[in-house]
Amino acid sequence: MARKGGFKKRSKASEEIPSSSLADIAFLLLIFFMVTTVFPTDRQRPIEWAEAAAAQKIDEKAKNILNVWLEKDGTIYINDQLYTMDDVSQVVAPLYALSERALVISIRGDRDTPYYMVDQVQKELVSAGVVRVVFATELEQRMQRERR
Amino acid sequence: MAVLNNKKSRVSGEVPMASTADIAFLLLIFFLVTTVFPKDKGLAVVLPEESVEVAVSQKNILHLIIRADGIVDVKRGESQQIQQMSAPDIEGLWRQEVAANPNLIAAVKTDPNAPYKYMVDVLDALHSANAERISLQILEG
Repeated sequence: MARKGGFKKRSKASEEIPSSSLADIAFLLLIFFMVTTVFPTDRQRPIEWAEAAAAQKIDEKAKNILNVWLEKDGTIYINDQLYTMDDVSQVVAPLYALSERALVISIRGDRDTPYYMVDQVQKELVSAGVVRVVFATELEQRMQRERR
Repeated sequence: MAVLNNKKSRVSGEVPMASTADIAFLLLIFFLVTTVFPKDKGLAVVLPEESVEVAVSQKNILHLIIRADGIVDVKRGESQQIQQMSAPDIEGLWRQEVAANPNLIAAVKTDPNAPYKYMVDVLDALHSANAERISLQILEG
């Protein structure tokens, strides 16, 4: 029996763990998490932005910015939820207290919203005790402005 | 010359694959470092606190009345004289006026039916002129 010389026979399997596919596994994980990660922000509403050349970046952490979307027919969205004008102060006040008065409200109004709606939102924010407000706009390029 | 045909090239026929992971990580780190997330932009204002009313002398007020068609009526303090302007001209006007009176306050009064963008245009002009004392109101009556 040739099989009797078992001591001399060497295993054909390699002793090492195959490491050449390690990078592939790492990339697979990377791509998986990139695809599945959702950042906790509210969805964009379809508004036409107002433009301003003096617009500056909001000097506050992203988690302390609350977007109040105001569409041209007066509908208001806060954190993806529809509210009426009268609800705004009741919605914002607890969030403002929760942020220890650091909350900045970003009013994202459609450029053709009648001003009395914007004024109502401001009054609601004042009654919620909010002090810092930003009228969110897109940056207007000086070149475009001169051409007009 | 038959000897030459027997000679084999010592250069490997394969593309070296060992460093592809390094290249991939290099690209990954490059994009991680250079990516900038778009930050929100806007015109910051500070709202007054509730039930705080400050009496201001009329001579320190520059009334900017935004009409529904976007034309701005400029009225200085008590004088009834009205000057009509377009929003971008407010910037120059403010610089002039504030040089004459550093305590000046811009009272922006917008017609209830004026589109929001006209108010933003005026606010933009005031911000461009480094105005800090701005009061936003709605036009009544």
